[in-house]
Amino acid sequence: MTGNTTILVAVILFSIILIAWLVLRPSITATRGGKMLAFVALLIFPALSGGMGVNRHIERSKTTNFCLSCHVMEDYGKSLRVDDRSFIPATHFQYNLVPRDQACYTCHTDYTMYGNVSAKLRGMKHVYAYYLGKPSQPIKLYQPYNNRECLHCHLGARSFEESEAHTKDPQTLPRIKANQLSCSTTECHNIIHNVGQLKEATFWKEQAK
Amino acid sequence: MKIQLTKIERRIRLAGILLIAGLLVELVTLRWAHPTAFLFFLLLGGALMAAGIGVYLLSLVSDENKPSPE
Repeated sequence: MTGNTTILVAVILFSIILIAWLVLRPSITATRGGKMLAFVALLIFPALSGGMGVNRHIERSKTTNFCLSCHVMEDYGKSLRVDDRSFIPATHFQYNLVPRDQACYTCHTDYTMYGNVSAKLRGMKHVYAYYLGKPSQPIKLYQPYNNRECLHCHLGARSFEESEAHTKDPQTLPRIKANQLSCSTTECHNIIHNVGQLKEATFWKEQAK
Repeated sequence: MKIQLTKIERRIRLAGILLIAGLLVELVTLRWAHPTAFLFFLLLGGALMAAGIGVYLLSLVSDENKPSPE
């Protein structure tokens, strides 16, 4: 349990104790002190707990474990451990190029609280498909992968700006930066999760620390 | 001997029960790392807490709180 969660749990438990006191002895609200207690216990603390809970859930939705908690995402989780450097997500995950506990969110940033309304509606559709429908197989992105997700780390890096493949044609870099030339769907970095190849793949086993 | 509760006290009790239920839902969903947990938290826990706060606020503006005419 993280520190923030511990604080939230403590706030919730404290709220429950205060509210239980009022439920058992509602007559104390007849006094001025009781009225103030009721205001704090029945309005301030629940609002605080609710707000902190929303924040905690939103933060948790960024974690790799959260994304992989749905069965349909299992293969995508496995693809992060493929022992082959040509698999872009696997390389980023295994070499700590992205934080492992937020690996999905680092490269797919157009969801969570700051995603738009259509992202939220798609999320609801996913929940429906998960429980009542049939998730599409294979899973596809709704929109072509945006180079922005790569550039928020690689832009300005020497390995990106001075790479021979990127500088041979002077138009290449400007087109990549303008999202006109995709990093992932051209033949340059096109081995992404490739879950269809997992049966033949070998997997990296993390050494125990 | 059964103690008679006033209307306000009954509403405060109801508000408290709804809020405790909402907070318990929040507590449970915090232990469950799954997208459905967020939906439960928001739709069930949020609804219970909103209802509890609503009932409490209603008790503040109920007739019994109005001063009697002199």
